[in-house]
Amino acid sequence: MPAGRPGPAAQSARRPPPLLPLLLLCVLGAPQAGSGADTAVISPQDPTLLIGSSLQATCSVHGDPPGATAEGLYWTLNGHRLPPELSRMLNASTLALALANLNGSRQQSGDNLVCHARDGSILAGSCLYVGLPPEKPFNISCWSKNMKDLTCRWTPGARGETFLHTNYSLKYKLRWYGQDNTCEEYHTVGPHSCHIPKDLALFTPYEIWVEATNRLGSARSDVLTLDILDVVTTDPPPEVHVSRVGGLEDQLSVRWVSPPALKDFLFQAKYQIRYRVEDSVDWKVVDDVSNQTSCRLAGLKPGTVYFVQVRCNPFGIYGSKKAGIWSEWSHPTAASTPRSERPGPGGGACEPRGGEPSSGPVRRELKQFLGWLKKHAYCSNLSFRLYDQWRAWMQKSHKTRNQDEGILSSGRRGAARGPAR
Amino acid sequence: MGQNLPGLKGGEFRVELPGSGRASLEEVVKKQGDPQADSSISPLPHLESKIQQTHSLARLLTKYAEQLLQEYVQHQGDPFGLPGFSPPRLPVADLSAPAPGHAGLPVPERLRLDEAALAALPPLLDVVRRRQAELNPRALRLLRRLEDAARQARALGAAVEAVLAALGAETRGPRPEPAAIAAATVTAGVFPAKVLGLRVCGLYREWVSRTEADLGQLAPGGPA
Repeated sequence: MPAGRPGPAAQSARRPPPLLPLLLLCVLGAPQAGSGADTAVISPQDPTLLIGSSLQATCSVHGDPPGATAEGLYWTLNGHRLPPELSRMLNASTLALALANLNGSRQQSGDNLVCHARDGSILAGSCLYVGLPPEKPFNISCWSKNMKDLTCRWTPGARGETFLHTNYSLKYKLRWYGQDNTCEEYHTVGPHSCHIPKDLALFTPYEIWVEATNRLGSARSDVLTLDILDVVTTDPPPEVHVSRVGGLEDQLSVRWVSPPALKDFLFQAKYQIRYRVEDSVDWKVVDDVSNQTSCRLAGLKPGTVYFVQVRCNPFGIYGSKKAGIWSEWSHPTAASTPRSERPGPGGGACEPRGGEPSSGPVRRELKQFLGWLKKHAYCSNLSFRLYDQWRAWMQKSHKTRNQDEGILSSGRRGAARGPAR
Repeated sequence: MGQNLPGLKGGEFRVELPGSGRASLEEVVKKQGDPQADSSISPLPHLESKIQQTHSLARLLTKYAEQLLQEYVQHQGDPFGLPGFSPPRLPVADLSAPAPGHAGLPVPERLRLDEAALAALPPLLDVVRRRQAELNPRALRLLRRLEDAARQARALGAAVEAVLAALGAETRGPRPEPAAIAAATVTAGVFPAKVLGLRVCGLYREWVSRTEADLGQLAPGGPA
């Protein structure tokens, strides 16, 4: 709502358009006596103003019916009656209004300023557009799905709200030649985004920028220069399978397939795995799975359901040196580790790289030892698989020993209760 | 039945409803001299089904028209939509609200008026939609409802025309396209454009509601 005092001279930005426009004559038909057609005119019509500026408006009665005057007329703005002290009669047929320090428009279709007769009937209306010019859009980011398209997002300027409908237009062109093109598919991934579906060149840079325009002005972002191959992403890896590793209670095996759209280009691709316990929201991430399509998670809790997801970064595609863009995570896949009577270790990571946090150094040293053995001791059959089989055997042996010790313990107790030595 | 009623030209007839819509429909078919009337297959079930179908459509569109009106006023801002808001009832070319005496007319005449109104509405709804696309470009649901309303008005009008044809009643001839409306759209002031849109949405609601009531007179089990 505007302040309640008459302000300085109005700063209406536009001349009022012609009254009784052709549309009204064509669509509304000829005004008839008593039909309620505009019997007054508000000036200015549909002005555009800066927030905080002032407006002086007039409502002039036509004199239909004859003898009509501005006596008793009043103003409303967005349905609220304006204080009488903001109005004054300029002459017998004209009521003036002075608004100061205008607030931003309440709706994008404009604030409704209405001139009423004494009995409350509507004589005329005008819509005010009060707002701010757009600020420079920034933070443009783009990505290409499988090198086939380009989607860009941006942030709409520091203050965001202009109170006026602001049109954003994403423009692009080849850096060294070609004409400006305008993106046409907006709001694909949020309100400030656009999708270019086809006809994109590879191995040559594009210049991309965003233009923002509203009734009060325009602004242009900085230009982003990029090569499509440097911003490629792809689909999540399909066919993710998670399974137990024999009887090993602290491990799960994860396998997947390279995203098919780029399968011929992914020899340098990176994968990432994340997993969490079923009833937890905390994901653990395994980085740098390199370009393998399988991995073993170790150091897990026995008898526990885990959810696992995988994503792909098509790094190095067509020789690109840039970091690449991670795909979305695959749909979660679940599996459970075998149960154990012993409490298991708490953390885990992917093998053969990294190893579990708690036994990382052990496994690294073991790997080094096995490598040395292969070179110097002709133990070509030694491998992590053998090591894991040994561990599984150790666990079974441990259970058997526990059972035997239980029997032995009860036997000793029985012996203790036996005849004196 | 079988009497010449005042105001009728030769070959025309009125559907009277002494007690049952079906009895009147039988009379209509016999008067028409439809060869099928003497066949073993009566056209009445088909006609009743058509009427019932069209009546159901009108009922559904009445609900949609109410939703359109509410959506519309929401996007224009106050005082549109406030209780007691009464803008000038500006006349709209080729279309006015149902007259007070409409309900007293014979059913075919009512349906003819309904059909004519439904045929006049689509271009007006298109004008409103185009203007709202400039004023409220982010109001996607409103724009979609306006587009749907034009299509639905056309469909209901065609269905009513088919009912009239099945009843053997005359329908209105083709009417000229309102070519001037689209060309002048951009020059209207915003407030009058908002008022016009409100008027058109209101007329759309009134006429589909009126059509529903008029078809209800003919539907099986309808009031006498």
